[in-house]
Amino acid sequence: MDDIGTVGISNYAQESLGDIVFAQLPDPGTKVKAGDECGALESVKAASEIYSPVSGVITEKNNNVENKPGLINTSSFDKGWLFKLQLTNPEELNELMSEEDYEKFLKSDVEKDHT
Amino acid sequence: MDFTNHHVMMVWRNEPCVVIGRHQNPWQEANVSHLAEKDISLARRNSGGGTVYHDRGNLNITFFTPRERYDRKYNLELIKRALFRGFGIKSVINKRDDIVVQDNYKISGTAAKLGRLTAYHHCTLLVNANKADLSKALAKREHGIQTKATESTRSPVANLADIDHKVSVESLQTAVGYEYLRTPALHIEDGGQTLIKKQRGFQFVNPTNEWFPGLSGLRNELESWDWCFGRTPVFTVSRTFPVPAELLAPSRVYRASEELVINMTVEKGLISDVTLNIPPGLVESGFHGEASVITHLKGKRFTSEALSALQDAMLTRHLSNDIKKLDEKEQFVAKCFDQVVNTI
Repeated sequence: MDDIGTVGISNYAQESLGDIVFAQLPDPGTKVKAGDECGALESVKAASEIYSPVSGVITEKNNNVENKPGLINTSSFDKGWLFKLQLTNPEELNELMSEEDYEKFLKSDVEKDHT
Repeated sequence: MDFTNHHVMMVWRNEPCVVIGRHQNPWQEANVSHLAEKDISLARRNSGGGTVYHDRGNLNITFFTPRERYDRKYNLELIKRALFRGFGIKSVINKRDDIVVQDNYKISGTAAKLGRLTAYHHCTLLVNANKADLSKALAKREHGIQTKATESTRSPVANLADIDHKVSVESLQTAVGYEYLRTPALHIEDGGQTLIKKQRGFQFVNPTNEWFPGLSGLRNELESWDWCFGRTPVFTVSRTFPVPAELLAPSRVYRASEELVINMTVEKGLISDVTLNIPPGLVESGFHGEASVITHLKGKRFTSEALSALQDAMLTRHLSNDIKKLDEKEQFVAKCFDQVVNTI
């Protein structure tokens, strides 16, 4: 059974980055550890590092996004995926937030800014 | 470093160099062979944005903060205030975060890098840079390059010293430094001498591996060909060269002007594919080197290294080993390749 994961950025992230003009994605075959820098997204002259959320080996990068970086803005959860990787440590998934946890996290962050 | 309770602003200068943004194409942005001739370095930085020219008359400023306090407008506003308080110079921050004086002269360009916990915003400030050298280094050329790499936006530029001769890199450093120290970290306001007295003041930074362990490793990587040139996003080049009449077979009459078309694909700075459209006139007059040229060029760097490979390619085609010189047609083809690779 292959543990293949797809990595992208959240809608919140694409909104705060602004119009993405360039996506630098990791090449298939690259080995990454959770938290490693593995690429960058450029918007308004700022290069924002992409970090791999889990450890694994890159199996595929999204060529469509390389040709049309705007897909990340218009379709961050679907067509705008960044890369796929074969997980080497599936237990790491337990460390990540669920969608529900993430929404709660975003709300609390917003509240922090307003106090 | 943890910038949570301690923001840092760094001011610095470079010897003459051209600095391209992280996702740019150096061959598109600068005249690479010209830079080598003039001893002007080429560097690719980690932040985004376009290409700039630095020399000792340009001041670089970097603002370090935690990621959530990244705020370019604040930083640029601070510089704008320093220019006014120190020299009475009025400036405008435009939509592109350039600092502009006298309506349309750019004196500063901006770029940034966002990490997981920290971020930096850096910008240039032209004080008395050599504008002639700047123009030549960044001159627009017919390079025939097609690419997804980010492109620079050209602007007319001005030196601050031209507007007010009291401005020098040293006096500007002092003005910006004190403005930074007298301004509260989170909002623009004048905290005056009171606030200055509470800050850590000016410090010299010694960029050595002893002060910053790991710096040598970073430096080696950033100075490598693989980083500066190899990191270029895949691109294609296409150039067309009219063949001089004297190189064509004399007995034939040609309907259209005969042209040599050279197409190349370059990946990671290396030539990955070449196609030549050799006009019939050149074939008929004896040029048959096409296949050999292509084989020899694949995998070579998109630099003069390719030209030596090309010469070898054409020489190996010579049937007799005595002929170690290229004939006129081969010289013509070599000259065309020279122009392609040196983007002139």
